[in-house]
Amino acid sequence: MQRKPVSSSNIAEIGYDESRRILEVLFTNGSTYQYFDVSQQEYEDLMRAGSHGQYLNANIKGRYRYARV
Amino acid sequence: MAADPTFLGTVEDVSGATIRIKLAQATASGLSFIEGQSYRVGQVGGFVRVPLGFVNLYGVISHVGASAVPERLAAIEEQGNRWMTVQLVGEGQPGVGFDRGISQFPTVGDPVNLVTEFDLRTIYGRPNDPRFVSVGRLASANSIPALVEIDKLVTRHSAVLGATGSGKSTTVAGLLTALSDSALYPSARILVIDIHGEYGKALADRAAIFRISPDASKGERPLYIPYWAMTLDELLPVTFGSIENGGDRGAVIDRITELKLSGLKKWPRAGVTEEGVTVDAPVPFSIHRLWFELHCEMRATHYEKAGQSQSRDTWALEKDAAGTPVQPGDVMKCIPPRFLPPKDDKGDTEKIRYSRSSLGIGRALDALGSRLRDPRFDFLFRPGPYLPSAEGQMKQDLDTLLASWLGDDKPISILDVSGVPPSIQAELVGSLLRLVYDALFWARNIPEGGRERPLLIVLEEAHAYLGEKQTQVASVAVRRIAKEGRKYGIGIMLVSQRPAEIDPTILSQCGTLFALRLSNSADRGQIRNAASDNLEGLFSMLPVLRTGEAIIVGEAVNLPIRTLIDRPSAKRRPDSADPKVVVPGSESEGYESPGGWNQKRDPSDYAEAVELWRRQDAKSRRAQ
Repeated sequence: MQRKPVSSSNIAEIGYDESRRILEVLFTNGSTYQYFDVSQQEYEDLMRAGSHGQYLNANIKGRYRYARV
Repeated sequence: MAADPTFLGTVEDVSGATIRIKLAQATASGLSFIEGQSYRVGQVGGFVRVPLGFVNLYGVISHVGASAVPERLAAIEEQGNRWMTVQLVGEGQPGVGFDRGISQFPTVGDPVNLVTEFDLRTIYGRPNDPRFVSVGRLASANSIPALVEIDKLVTRHSAVLGATGSGKSTTVAGLLTALSDSALYPSARILVIDIHGEYGKALADRAAIFRISPDASKGERPLYIPYWAMTLDELLPVTFGSIENGGDRGAVIDRITELKLSGLKKWPRAGVTEEGVTVDAPVPFSIHRLWFELHCEMRATHYEKAGQSQSRDTWALEKDAAGTPVQPGDVMKCIPPRFLPPKDDKGDTEKIRYSRSSLGIGRALDALGSRLRDPRFDFLFRPGPYLPSAEGQMKQDLDTLLASWLGDDKPISILDVSGVPPSIQAELVGSLLRLVYDALFWARNIPEGGRERPLLIVLEEAHAYLGEKQTQVASVAVRRIAKEGRKYGIGIMLVSQRPAEIDPTILSQCGTLFALRLSNSADRGQIRNAASDNLEGLFSMLPVLRTGEAIIVGEAVNLPIRTLIDRPSAKRRPDSADPKVVVPGSESEGYESPGGWNQKRDPSDYAEAVELWRRQDAKSRRAQ
């Protein structure tokens, strides 16, 4: 999956797979996580958010199932 | 003299390679600036230079302060703490090179200088020299790269030792990244034995990964360790267990040799003659057939017929009404035939007797049978294309196995043994290493061999299988490589957090030590014993090293150096970071990762937990 670098204190890169609806996040500490069944809209909102870290914590964490990859 | 800002003091005492230096009154401790660079004065682990005419002697500071004062002076010395103890390590002519060992000693009154960046550059050689690889920066001078000589690092073996969380795996990942740079070393060859599956991610683009349950979507390949390539001593512990009785052992040896021979007659293999076949020869045989034959020999019941000895013809198989056996048995599936119980009734002429076999390996045989049927052992007993048929025929031979491990396009091969049942891990790692060593040993004159294309074997978590008490295969194999590998281009890099648990004879063969933070005194003692330099002062620093800071001593470095190891980029960090209980971050800025006690709960689904457990695979099915 292609990830785009973002400027955030905790997140290094964010990627999204439309066909599988998987959001992939590379944190600055080097760990990569995938969130499942994330809508395209959610991904776009995350990318647009002023603070990606805050958005991830508020709207994605706790709502989507994730796994470390 | 005072005009020279590098001047530290004078030599006051020389005993062997240990010299004591009295700091000049004018020498300020702390930070000193010379030509725009900052230097720390009087740091344990720092370097000093003693100019002696045309030669400079170099040494490492091991003690500073009161303990460095010579005993007899301690009482009368007014400012008794301005002393340093230095271990001399080598010499060099000003501006040119550096050699280990010293040809002359300093004497009382000789001036001692701080080692400047210029001096260090002459000591550490040229950073662009391909013989050296940079692993980080000197802790005492940030501008100087810490260079390690690859030749010595690989062929004279090395060890990376440090407590959990000291930066061990990161150091190894950094080293491997530097060594596998395809622009500099297009033919590098590194084999990593990975016990926890840590390195796959960090080196994914440079490594061929072999795993017991491979993820084909990531290009991982299955790890096979064909049982038939093992020697008898390696094979027995993972198959029968031990067979004490000499007669039984001999019988098993004979059977294996016979099976190997009969397979060889049908499918000759270059290099091995029928006369030359031994039980240890890397020639295929079917262990399933061995088990089946031994099982039938011991467990069959036989019809007793006058004048006929027990054989396959007298088998008392259980049959149905139509006369076909209920369960005739299957060699490859390890299903035994079902026999009738013995019968000795008065008046009944049909007598059925137990087998008269003299073999006493019933339990060992049952253990073997259950292992052959256990899918966790499939990588060993059903190794894909390397599985011999009952007759000894195979789809592929050892050459493709070796080519995939040692001759892949990528410079690093990771053999991830994390899925190997722990009870046989040591044996398997041992036989795997022996296999690789034997292959490269005999190939020493051809381009595939270790002489022409040396191999570095990285043994992660080495204490798990190289204990002193463990007299088994792994220790034997590693000891052999440690002792002889140098001549055949096979080097070892041990990685461990418990050096005290590693066989000292193996550790003492490691020419270069990367010592990271270690607090356990037994572990530190072991390192002190293994290090070739007499540098106790340096090693007393081990408990207070920072994360990612290492003391490198030994053959691959000119001088013992205290180094800050370069942290590989986020993508190249091994997957070994400890879980954080309290994850740094805040609601407003987000957190470093999604877990931790200080974040809101995620909805839980233990059904998936159970599924993963049953599948014996930590990778979520939905992840890709």
